Amino acid sequence: MPPIIDIRGLDKTYRSAFRRRPIHALRGVDLTIEPGEIVGVLGPNGAGKTTLLKILLGIVAPTAGTAHLLGQVAGDPGARRRLGYLPENHRFPPYLTARQTLDVYGRMADLDTPTRKERIPRLLEDVGLASWEDTRVGKFSKGMMQRLGLAQALLNLPELVVLDEPTDGVDPVGRRDIRDRLRALKQAGTTVLINSHLLSEIELVCDRVIVLHKGRIIRSGSIDDVARQNTGWRIQLTRLEPGFDASSFGASVDESGHALVLDSGDPSVLNRLIDALRASDHVILGVERHRSSLEAGFIDLITGQEASA
Amino acid sequence: MITLSGSLLLTFRELWAMRLTQAMFAVATLAWLLLSFALNMDVVEGSLAAIRIFGFDTSPTEAVRDAATGEWVQQAVSLDNFMIGINTFVVGAAYFLGTMLGLFATMPLVGGFLEQGRIDLVLSKPLSRPRLLLGHLIGVWITVLVLAAYLIGGVWLSMALKTGMWIPRVLWAIPIITVMFAVMYSVILFFGVSTRSSGLGLVIAYGLVFISVILASHQAMLPVLSPAAAFVFQGFYHALPNFAEVVQILAQLVAEEPVTSWYPLTSSLLFGGVLHALAFLWFVKRDF
Repeated sequence: MPPIIDIRGLDKTYRSAFRRRPIHALRGVDLTIEPGEIVGVLGPNGAGKTTLLKILLGIVAPTAGTAHLLGQVAGDPGARRRLGYLPENHRFPPYLTARQTLDVYGRMADLDTPTRKERIPRLLEDVGLASWEDTRVGKFSKGMMQRLGLAQALLNLPELVVLDEPTDGVDPVGRRDIRDRLRALKQAGTTVLINSHLLSEIELVCDRVIVLHKGRIIRSGSIDDVARQNTGWRIQLTRLEPGFDASSFGASVDESGHALVLDSGDPSVLNRLIDALRASDHVILGVERHRSSLEAGFIDLITGQEASA
Repeated sequence: MITLSGSLLLTFRELWAMRLTQAMFAVATLAWLLLSFALNMDVVEGSLAAIRIFGFDTSPTEAVRDAATGEWVQQAVSLDNFMIGINTFVVGAAYFLGTMLGLFATMPLVGGFLEQGRIDLVLSKPLSRPRLLLGHLIGVWITVLVLAAYLIGGVWLSMALKTGMWIPRVLWAIPIITVMFAVMYSVILFFGVSTRSSGLGLVIAYGLVFISVILASHQAMLPVLSPAAAFVFQGFYHALPNFAEVVQILAQLVAEEPVTSWYPLTSSLLFGGVLHALAFLWFVKRDF
């Protein structure tokens, strides 16, 4: 099966008559996304995440390179027929009701009247807005707007869903509902590309993440791959004797004060630390692998890039 | 076709949601209701003996030269002249005020259409950019056409039923007002698309209307200008829309007189066509 997204050597440079220096938003990006994957796009502000998504959708034209979406050149209206998109800070016309909004955007998605009549009430029900269908969206909260945006993105039963900050402004229950919805999409074989600053959300739903920094992909892999950059060991003790120098092994004391966290995953360092602990009469209760969160791994990755630059 | 209907529907709903559009329909309704019910005429031998407005009588007169004596005398206004006067007033007001108000009312539409968060949403739909912009434009044009037809057609019908005088050439004002609105709207559209500032487009459109008033006096101005200034003046006259001069075409049509020159209309149409084409090109090429 051909990839859903196939990007080769993608460059984007923004130039302006009013700006002396051009902005290199993307530099030689290569990316392939297979059907059914849920992929998170991570990166600090200005990394090029939104530009990447907009090139895929044909909203922004690339300076160089190629991008193919569902087997067609990105930007071709035909490719967008099987795509759903929820932009960041989207704005629906405030005078439309929820039902009218889906009707208008459903028409633009080339859905005929019977299909719209069948899908709109079902989708409103799914995103928890059934009782608000005849309320103007100008009265909606941010969370309700996000849910309506998600319904809009799913109207055409897309093969690829692109979500830019989907849980922005959504309460915890709403976030859980959106996560459940994404898992349901995955089960149905839909490919999802998510751009989000909420890394804990990404960690919960994504199979794979790509990390963008200054327009380049600096890491691509599973959540574990990115988070495990900083995988080490955790040694649980009855108590830590004063004067023990854990830092000389690259270890630190955790918040409880009864455990040491060793950043290095090297077993020889672990053994030397255990020897030193036992030599100084510490009682070891247990040793376990310590995996940093995606957020910690991401921060380490970006900090490392900044330092080496 | 379904995708285009979505773009059209969005434009219609947006225009209808605007208070100013509703107000313009209300004013049009008021105009022809006023002429239908508040205006009563006594016609004696083809002349207006008396007019009653809201129950108040008046006897309109006009100065005419007596054929026998050659002196100017006051006599009752002929029904023909009265009808020409009413129609010219309505068409002129609809042309100038209607277009200016229409541009003001539709200006936020371009800004809203290009707003971040809305434009990227519609651009993600399986709709080509030219088709999307065309849907927006057709929606605006149809609304203006309906508004012009509602006002002028209503007044025309009301007066025709009241007097029995059917002057179909008055109805030419409907397409002329609509196309001249489209010409001026192209200015807002072009600047909206290229600079994302429809407000700037509105200011320039109003500026062009003002300049057209000066350009309309070209026949009087050219003899008193130096050759270089006359050349520049002529350049502006041919390149810019002749909005003010088109009102003469309307007046001649309403008066059932032959139109002396269609040039102001055709040169304005050419200006609008070029600006629309540039707006489309820019809209297709630019990043959002």
